[in-house]
Amino acid sequence: MNATPTAEQFDDPVQQREAATLGMWAFITTEILFFGVLFAAYTLCRVRFPQAFAAGSRHTDVILGTAETAVLLISSCLVAVAVREVQLGGQRIATWLIGLTAALGVTFLTMHGFEYVSEYHEGLIPAIRYLQTGPLSAPMQIFFCLYYFITGFHGLHVSIGVAVLLVMAKKTHRGDFNQDYHTPLEMTALYWHLVDIVWIFVFPLIYLIGRVG
Amino acid sequence: MSTNVVDSPFPAGETGEPPRESYLDAGYGLRSWLSTRDHKRIAILYALAITMFFFLGGLAAALLRLELVTPNGSLMSAEGYNKTFTFHGVVMVWFFLIPSIPATLGNFLVPLMIGARDVAFPRLNLFSWYLYILGGCFTIACLLCGGVDTGWTFYTPFSTMFSNSNVMLTVVGVFIVGFSSIFTGLNFIVTIHTMRAHGMTWFRLPLFVWSMYGVSLVMILATPVLAMTLALIGLERLLGVGIFDPALGGDPLLFQHFFWFYSHPAVYIMILPAMGVVSELITAAARRRIFGYDFMVYSILGIAVIGFLVWGHHMFVSGQSMYASIVFSILSFVVAVPSAIKVFNWTATLYKGDISFGAPMLYALGFVGLFMLGGLTGLFLAATALDVNLTDTYFVVAHFHYIMVGGAVMAYLGGIHFWWPKVTGRLYSEAWARFAAIVMFFGFNLTFFPQYLLGYEGMPRRYHVYPPQFQVLNVLSSAGATILAVSYLLPLAYLLWSLRYGPRASANPWRAKGLEWQTSSPPPVHNFDRTPAVTEGPYAYDER
Amino acid sequence: MKTSRSHRSGPRPPSLAANLMVLAALLGLLALTVGTAFINLGPANAAANVGIAVVKAALVLTFYMRLKTDSPLFRIVAVSGFAWLAVLIALSLADVLTRPT
Repeated sequence: MNATPTAEQFDDPVQQREAATLGMWAFITTEILFFGVLFAAYTLCRVRFPQAFAAGSRHTDVILGTAETAVLLISSCLVAVAVREVQLGGQRIATWLIGLTAALGVTFLTMHGFEYVSEYHEGLIPAIRYLQTGPLSAPMQIFFCLYYFITGFHGLHVSIGVAVLLVMAKKTHRGDFNQDYHTPLEMTALYWHLVDIVWIFVFPLIYLIGRVG
Repeated sequence: MSTNVVDSPFPAGETGEPPRESYLDAGYGLRSWLSTRDHKRIAILYALAITMFFFLGGLAAALLRLELVTPNGSLMSAEGYNKTFTFHGVVMVWFFLIPSIPATLGNFLVPLMIGARDVAFPRLNLFSWYLYILGGCFTIACLLCGGVDTGWTFYTPFSTMFSNSNVMLTVVGVFIVGFSSIFTGLNFIVTIHTMRAHGMTWFRLPLFVWSMYGVSLVMILATPVLAMTLALIGLERLLGVGIFDPALGGDPLLFQHFFWFYSHPAVYIMILPAMGVVSELITAAARRRIFGYDFMVYSILGIAVIGFLVWGHHMFVSGQSMYASIVFSILSFVVAVPSAIKVFNWTATLYKGDISFGAPMLYALGFVGLFMLGGLTGLFLAATALDVNLTDTYFVVAHFHYIMVGGAVMAYLGGIHFWWPKVTGRLYSEAWARFAAIVMFFGFNLTFFPQYLLGYEGMPRRYHVYPPQFQVLNVLSSAGATILAVSYLLPLAYLLWSLRYGPRASANPWRAKGLEWQTSSPPPVHNFDRTPAVTEGPYAYDER
Repeated sequence: MKTSRSHRSGPRPPSLAANLMVLAALLGLLALTVGTAFINLGPANAAANVGIAVVKAALVLTFYMRLKTDSPLFRIVAVSGFAWLAVLIALSLADVLTRPT
């Protein structure tokens, strides 16, 4: 099992690792464009309705948002260190680090769940419970549509990431990965960092506009 | 299976070894096909499914042309006509043209041409076929439930707010098939980057492989945008509110921007592979090195990149800002440059060539002519002032059919003929094949050239009725469509016939260059007995 | 470059200290972006938000995702994703910003 399995279409593990990494980066590129559509829609709509977007942003919870960002940043660091540990041969610590990363992912989702609940009570969810009135209420719905599409799609990615991280934790614990072979773990880490990067952009665009003036 | 080798007029390939077990003999049951990871078998699975969709979409086209024989709409209701052209568009674009060459010829040939045993991710390759089938099922289900009437472009707010047809089913189907094309593109990029045989440097790659590389770039960079945009449409229909909703101040042009950011490059997904195929066909038939190989490579990459910057020329009359339109217009003229370079280079390749006019070459020459006509009329449409008159007329319909049917389908069929001996190990009837190619060329022109005239005279597209003065040209077009239909059925017949009765093909019946011809026909499961080493550039025909 | 590829599975990892320093920088930038959001800078608020986000993303890409030490090809792939997104936003903005009202 540990004898560095090479799939039959490849000549050697180096080629296999390069193919897997390139494939992952190409996949990340498609993900950037998936999220990119939402960010582009956000930009174009915000240009047209700056006040409504600022007003909508003021309804979001900046404290929870900041905490969520910090949680994801820390989790990114943990998984990076976990890959490093495996590369240096430390499987036991790595297992814990990966598990902890998944736990932080769950923390993130829970915190966001609280946000959704309070937004429901405030009546900020278009099509489900939207109670805002006034001249800005219509374009503010566009802001909230984008908010739910972006955070929902991101949350979906976090959930998938948590599931994959748990599998990786189990595999690391079982000793599937070592100095010579740990490509799946490396790929999972790349994916998790991508989820982090998306949130790095979501946070200021959703939570921080219109806090002054 | 009998193993007697029928004498063929062509010299046998250099490999005089005993026949090895080919990929076709590696298992016969349905299961051995549906669970295969062999890129060659997946190519055949794709070919079967794509052929089915081609004839479904073609049937819809036949109904449309039948309806348009008379000016007063005697066959279909307006709604039925709308649903028929939408089905024709959706099926032909996403279930035939986009996967056609990449998923069949590309899947089969890319690993062979670069000297690899398989693509980089064989399981993902099979998975992408299943996604294609799943997406296809949704589209068929939509048809069975009564169809969809938005046109293949799904313009908002009609598609999100007003259409009472099965928009959701279609959108889900196209969304799924989008992933199939993303995974195919991803597979090709990684395969071409990491799995080339020793000595196969980037500038020794056959142009077909380069075109597959270019098309894969477009696939993975553009398709996510379409998928997400369709998801937004689906959500908006489901929830009743969304970012395109005009009642909230949403901008319908926002949708058009996103849609065409994918759908204009999608045209290059269709035409780039065709250009790659034709480069192989012309060099083999003229027995010449391709003229200006480097320029051909750069123009493939140029088309792939610049193709992303021109989408706004679909929106000149939509209310888009005039200044943006000017920029898009200029960029659209720019994208014609690399396309023209390719046409010049194909022509220059023929110069002083030792040309033989086999069936693949006839298709390739047909491609060059029709592509040029389609491309030049594209310049009419890229001019902002003229486009105001021509938008949504039959001129547009004729223009893109010259590119997609005259261009992409001709090249696809040319490629099918050229590599048929390699794929199946059999030779088809050359006389019938030449006959079909010529019939197709004339049938095609009779169908679509009148549509240029109709459009120029102002007949709008997407109507089932029209003023009586347009009838003559419409009848001509419908008559041409009949001939075109025959020319599509002919290859189906004689190619299937060749599977059983055709003479066995040698490894290299055309005496062509390229690694795929150095292995047996059909190739063994892992393509090559030993990994080939490459010592010369492609198309080394003039070194005798 | 060649020495880093001699390792069987990719480049040597960055040191633990480097990892932690990047995290410290990321958290510092987070504090900075939240802080500036509450100071009225006019249009510079939006620029600061986005600018800081770009720096943070670049840190993650360079160090955690190891673009610094891994094959240059991956850098090209990563950049192309962002570049294409920029094209989408820039050209559709060119329409929205210049449209007659």
